[in-house]
Amino acid sequence: MLSRFLAIVLLLAAAGTVTPVAADIAVIVNPANTATVTTDELTRLYTGRSSALAAVNLAESSPLRGQFDEKGVGRSSAQLKAHWSKLVFTGKGTPPLELASEAAVIEHVASNPNAIGYIAASSVTDTVKVVLTLN
Amino acid sequence: MRKSLVALSLAVAVVPATVYSNTTINGFASIKAGMTTGSDEQLYGYDDTPDFKNESLIALQVKSDLGEKLSVTAQLLGRGSDDFDVGFEWAFISYQLADNMTINAGRLRTPFYKYSDFKDVGYAFDWLRVPQGVYGLGFNTIEGLTFYRTAQLGNIDSTLQLIVGRYNGDTSFGGSQVSATIDNVAGITLELAKDAISGRVAYLTGKTSVDTTPVSLAPGFTIGNLYQALTANGLAPLVAAIDIEDESSNFVGVGLTYDDSNWIAVTEYTRVEVENSFFATQKNWYLSVGKRFNSFTPYISFEREDNSANVDIYQPYTTVLPPQLLVPVQGVVMGQERDASTWNIGVRYDFHPAAAFKAQFSSEDNETTGQRNGVMAFGVDLVF
Repeated sequence: MLSRFLAIVLLLAAAGTVTPVAADIAVIVNPANTATVTTDELTRLYTGRSSALAAVNLAESSPLRGQFDEKGVGRSSAQLKAHWSKLVFTGKGTPPLELASEAAVIEHVASNPNAIGYIAASSVTDTVKVVLTLN
Repeated sequence: MRKSLVALSLAVAVVPATVYSNTTINGFASIKAGMTTGSDEQLYGYDDTPDFKNESLIALQVKSDLGEKLSVTAQLLGRGSDDFDVGFEWAFISYQLADNMTINAGRLRTPFYKYSDFKDVGYAFDWLRVPQGVYGLGFNTIEGLTFYRTAQLGNIDSTLQLIVGRYNGDTSFGGSQVSATIDNVAGITLELAKDAISGRVAYLTGKTSVDTTPVSLAPGFTIGNLYQALTANGLAPLVAAIDIEDESSNFVGVGLTYDDSNWIAVTEYTRVEVENSFFATQKNWYLSVGKRFNSFTPYISFEREDNSANVDIYQPYTTVLPPQLLVPVQGVVMGQERDASTWNIGVRYDFHPAAAFKAQFSSEDNETTGQRNGVMAFGVDLVF
């Protein structure tokens, strides 16, 4: 029983190796914002340990979301969701606002001086300011 | 049934409110199935018949932000083991004193362990269930007041929690539910985290009373009857040394975690003491190691329980007690003896953005009874 179970575990563990197609990600803030954002601070903002800026996310269905979770926050989407469920179900935190598209992120960041978000580097417009580029 | 209906109508009633105020509704659910590996085995509520109810649960949480730093949170949870009768697992108001300081009042989770606050949210951890050798104490929620303060000391993140309150409810004793209170609960926890490493200490005290008198020792003979017989024989001091009546109690918990998002290792040690009673001091710990391979996280863990019966209670009386009283006294005291080791091996598979499949095999070796119990369980944990 145990050895058969072990075999299944090892088989399952060997199965998953997927690498997403990489695109440069631009971390954007409002042009009026003079803050500098380090990768450490970015992690803190997107894990709820800092509320210096109001972070916004792309919807989970967006392919860029998973890449940002890995490159920007250093965790898989599932790990981040597990992390946020710890905070949500103890009343300690609310995850970043989710927006449906890059256009919605640009619009939100352009109109909120305290907002921080991310989009594909190729989608950057002059209504927002890039503070960090992840590749 | 009626409670479930009330909860359902409450949940339905709350939905339209999201349109008008800053109210969010979240939920989590676990659907689990398991069975023991042998016909004479029992563990975690399972026997050798496949069961889908015992560890399944569903919860809805409503949080309403009232503005001006005030919010209210209620979590309604129904457990399969309680026939999915819904109760308030959490119900508190929260006031943010400052950016890094919050005070909560109401029904709160007792902060014994690292995973206490979210031990029912299976999605939040890799195991199929939190290690029962350490987490099986009970007294999970108290009504009271808690204060949180987060701070950054250099590049170390610290979280301090202070709590005061009272437990008034049930506890399981020898397989039956008995009423229990812990008065004047006061506790402090401190968690420090830097990069992949975090450490936690917890210390709680209180005055514990557990009414074990209705518990049956033999047909027509309860612990209450035993106490009466002892008192009638002039042995009130022995009764006082056995019973759990307003006894000073303390809990110590120490935890250490390493999580570099590749490897994850967790260990916790706990020590529970209820003075001047038959409650055996419990010294329990576990160690768990897992490794993440994209969507798969296999893990292995070991739990150790060491509860030594307080034989000193009755030893001065062994020559003066008649056998018909000595035997049940020994039975009550020795019933607390527990020496057990448990191995767990399992895997978490994130097959969906909001759901994880888990499988876990647990094998408990109970040295006290000489019994081995194994459980194989599968399940899905999700959040919504």
